Amino acid sequence: MTATHPAMPVPARCAEVGIGWRHPHYAELLERQPALDFLEVHSENFFGNGGAALAVLMQARAQYPISLHGVGLSLGSAVGLDPWHLDQLARLVQRVDPVRVSDHACFARGTLGAQIVHGSDLLPIPFSDEALDVLCRHVQQVQDRLQRRLMVENLSAYVRWNSANAQDGSETDFLTTLAQRTGCLLLVDVNNIYVNACNAQLAGHLGDPLQACRDWLDAIPPAAVGELHVAGHCHVADAHGEIVIDDHGGRVSPAVWALHRHALARFGLVPTLVEWDTDVPALDVLLEEAAIAGRAGQAVHNATAAEALA
Amino acid sequence: MSALALQQQQLLESLFLPAAEDAIKNIAICADSMGIRGLKAYQSNGHALAERALLAAYPVLAQMLGAESFAALARALWHATPPQRGDVAQWGDTLADFVAASPQLAGEPYLADVARVEWALHCCASAADAVLQPATLALLGSHDLDALRLQLAPGTALLCSPWPVVSLVHAHGDGGVTLAQAAALLHAGQAEDALVWRQGYRPRLRQAQAGEADFVAALLAGSALGAAMDAAPQLDTSAWLTDAVQSGLLLAAHPF
Repeated sequence: MTATHPAMPVPARCAEVGIGWRHPHYAELLERQPALDFLEVHSENFFGNGGAALAVLMQARAQYPISLHGVGLSLGSAVGLDPWHLDQLARLVQRVDPVRVSDHACFARGTLGAQIVHGSDLLPIPFSDEALDVLCRHVQQVQDRLQRRLMVENLSAYVRWNSANAQDGSETDFLTTLAQRTGCLLLVDVNNIYVNACNAQLAGHLGDPLQACRDWLDAIPPAAVGELHVAGHCHVADAHGEIVIDDHGGRVSPAVWALHRHALARFGLVPTLVEWDTDVPALDVLLEEAAIAGRAGQAVHNATAAEALA
Repeated sequence: MSALALQQQQLLESLFLPAAEDAIKNIAICADSMGIRGLKAYQSNGHALAERALLAAYPVLAQMLGAESFAALARALWHATPPQRGDVAQWGDTLADFVAASPQLAGEPYLADVARVEWALHCCASAADAVLQPATLALLGSHDLDALRLQLAPGTALLCSPWPVVSLVHAHGDGGVTLAQAAALLHAGQAEDALVWRQGYRPRLRQAQAGEADFVAALLAGSALGAAMDAAPQLDTSAWLTDAVQSGLLLAAHPF
């Protein structure tokens, strides 16, 4: 028996927090081994047959659970998945035995002239029935191959499809149906939702980005969500115009932290990843951001526990 | 072609084909005023990624050309031969041929071979791991050399050049060659054969010795040790074997 009073709620495990582990921190993190629940890496950076990068990842694997986050599967491509890419991912999953495997609801592969190219970006897909069918088929194909549940992330999109098809649905309906039809989980990137809302505001489509984001989060069924992402973004105003860019190049904004708390309260204590990919700061800065995410999880946990007691 | 395939093709065309600024008007995106700005963001992303990816693979060429020219080269290659794989580290293998065919760079014909050496080093870094198998080396003293195959280090490659490529690469790194020395060799029309291999996890580069290029080329082509020795009669093979084991170039000997 422990000293815990029987009437006290059993301290549930708090929401997990991890950071995106990038090249500038490879050695330092392995040396310091800070308390983190998981490390996230981009799968494609470890597609090599061998070498130093893969060796470093396997070293980290001995210390931390690894989340493999893909940026190149191109799940929404009408021309199909690249069998080579899926082979590399399957081999990496076999090697690493990751805690989660994810990619995005986007496309990059397509025809250009006589060849198929890979746009090397996370390009938006329309929320059409055809795109949903393609996405579901490919998510299923990946899950069948990996024998794992995949997580699919919502996108920050800088262009919208001017679809002639009036029945194209909303992003939240699209993603919810994707999860229902394939059994995949959703990786909700809170920063991406906010960036999209800010750009919609710039375009004059909506007045209150924060309210639009809360509505977005409230439209997603909690059981479908497996992870949250937070990251920094930046406002750019130049000769080409004004836009908010999801650059992963700074601290998470107060608005995004507020939405993160809203998401945790709605979705339960799912893991949170802090991403920082451009102008990667000192590791301590990233750990501070992770601590903020951890405190948010703790606060939501405490509030839930208090509610249960009341 | 399905509606989705057409939409995707049009967006890719607007990112990769010339005159993309105008293409936006014809495609089914940008339902609002953000469209042009958004497309510009994707184009800028692509160019920045092209520069980062090529800089990672071609650090010496980047120094030789200077930041501005190298960035322009990266953007030009991005449009001329877009990536075909979802791993951008695989992109850039066509740079040497692109440089060789470039009229602007015709005055510096050695740059293409520098690029070839750097791409070999880049590929070498992520080649499949392999370790020294010392016990197998006893076969060198006991086995028929015509029925013995040598296993070289991961990523081993040989590049024969009419230019002093090894000295040029080393002069821009920590290879113990000064820029003045490399320039003098270039001026003198010195040819160098480059040998690339991996020692542990570290990609290595050195000049091939006399006869070594023929020997290594034969080994890389799958010839038996005996046949490779016949191809390079001037090479002191026993000295080579000792040095190759010490430097991690030779890992094992296998009977056919």
